[in-house]
Amino acid sequence: MNWKFTSSIDLLARAGDAGLGLCDYLVKRDAFYAGTSEEAIRAELARRIRITRHSLDEGMSRPQLSFSGLTVGAAHSLAASANSPVADEFFGKALVYALAVNEVNACGGKIVAFPTAGSCGIVPGVLWAWRDARSPSLGPDSRVFQDAFTMASAIGMLVAARATLAGAEGGCQAECGAAAAMAAAALSQLMGLSTEACIDAAALSLKNCLGLACDPVAGLVEVPCVKRNAFMAANAITAASLAAAGVRSAIPFDEVVGAMKSIGASMPASLKESAEGGLAVTPTGLAVAQRIR
Amino acid sequence: MPENAPTLLDLFGPVMIGPSSSHTAGVARIAYLARKILKTPLERARITFYGSLARTWKGHGSDKAAIAGLLGILPEDERLAFAPEIAQREGLEIEILSDYAGPERYHTNTVVLELEGGDERLRVRGSSIGGGEIRLKSVNGFQAELDGGLAAILVLHHDEVGVIAELASLLAAAGLNIASLASHRRDKGDEALIVAEVDGAVSSRLLEAAARIHGVLDVVHVPSIKS
Ligand code: SF4
Repeated sequence: MNWKFTSSIDLLARAGDAGLGLCDYLVKRDAFYAGTSEEAIRAELARRIRITRHSLDEGMSRPQLSFSGLTVGAAHSLAASANSPVADEFFGKALVYALAVNEVNACGGKIVAFPTAGSCGIVPGVLWAWRDARSPSLGPDSRVFQDAFTMASAIGMLVAARATLAGAEGGCQAECGAAAAMAAAALSQLMGLSTEACIDAAALSLKNCLGLACDPVAGLVEVPCVKRNAFMAANAITAASLAAAGVRSAIPFDEVVGAMKSIGASMPASLKESAEGGLAVTPTGLAVAQRIR
Repeated sequence: MPENAPTLLDLFGPVMIGPSSSHTAGVARIAYLARKILKTPLERARITFYGSLARTWKGHGSDKAAIAGLLGILPEDERLAFAPEIAQREGLEIEILSDYAGPERYHTNTVVLELEGGDERLRVRGSSIGGGEIRLKSVNGFQAELDGGLAAILVLHHDEVGVIAELASLLAAAGLNIASLASHRRDKGDEALIVAEVDGAVSSRLLEAAARIHGVLDVVHVPSIKS
């Protein structure tokens, strides 16, 4: 069996040749590379999904306060606010959950990098919000939920193969941009869209994040990272809504990833995690850096 | 472009203590592998951060992560946050340096670990390439390209004919499939380093047999960080 792919076209062809759906193919592929059983891979998948819920619950249980003072429990504030214009429970929860998970990361808590730590709230935020608001029977052990996390991973794998997932190489389009594309595809999968439509949702989402700077204040994964997790949850939901309406991306996913790579290469080093440009060098950003040195 | 995408569990992971996959988790993994390569108990370590790591290691706890790795603590372990205190209790001498520019060819997230224990000296250079994925780029000046996914055997030997063949037959006899095999030397006729990645666990008997191959100076086992 052929386990190699670097594009969505390859991946769909490989899974098709194997007579498997994309998620089953990927679980089988992991079992092959790890020299273990598909059950073992699914068990580990379930364990990691469970940890995302622990991070979420931790983030919701009390305001997360970081050492730098930059993270001050935004998830808590948003969840408690009576002033939100968002009426839909799913949408509202997705924003809160994405913040909650990422605030736990900012405070040095335990998380699952997905694809990275700075972007770890986006996929779990959207998927757990869907589960809590729309589909309570889902959980770490349900196939459908595992497949949603697997679909998200598939998108990340393709970005890693064709471009990069490191902010230091590609800016934040490579981290939160990739995570939003992953969440868009995973949500589309939970909504029952075809695999092609899921990949298209990822393309729609990623196009809206191209060129995004990585300019963290004081070099910490907090500003703009934490709040960006909520914004990117919204980006992902917008993309899945479009895909569900049958709106296609004018540029296919693999080509969008190619564009992301070339944009990342042409971005200045000051906007790639060096904390030497953008928000990091605003007067306030510099003052924060000075204060915590 | 790499010829293959990463695996599902590479992508959905690692499970880690925050806040940065490349600057916290990746660094801990590099240091963990470096510590495994040093054969004697660790006494002193110099950790040098380059590029993006040099600029942000303080905020990302990369120092704690590197020290944790040196103590055998992996990114998933909550003790990572207290690694400097543990190291102090164990009497380790640790020095941390930043090199903002660094050689052009270095990846932007590069860490160099210089370790000492007894009369052993080790210098390992690693890059954290995103999402917690790493590459060990050099070991004591020899080029390497290890990602920690598979167990590996490093064999230092006089640059003579026959060592690779003998090693390959030992591995075959042990039922170990060779996933990759590369040989690097500094100069012709000088010492050379064989780096073999294998599918499966490496036994101490195999390592002893490899050490007895004619011309072999040293054999080191680097375990997988993913199993
Ligand atoms: S701004 Fe930079 S550090 Fe923050 S999440 Fe984005 S890529 Fe990561």
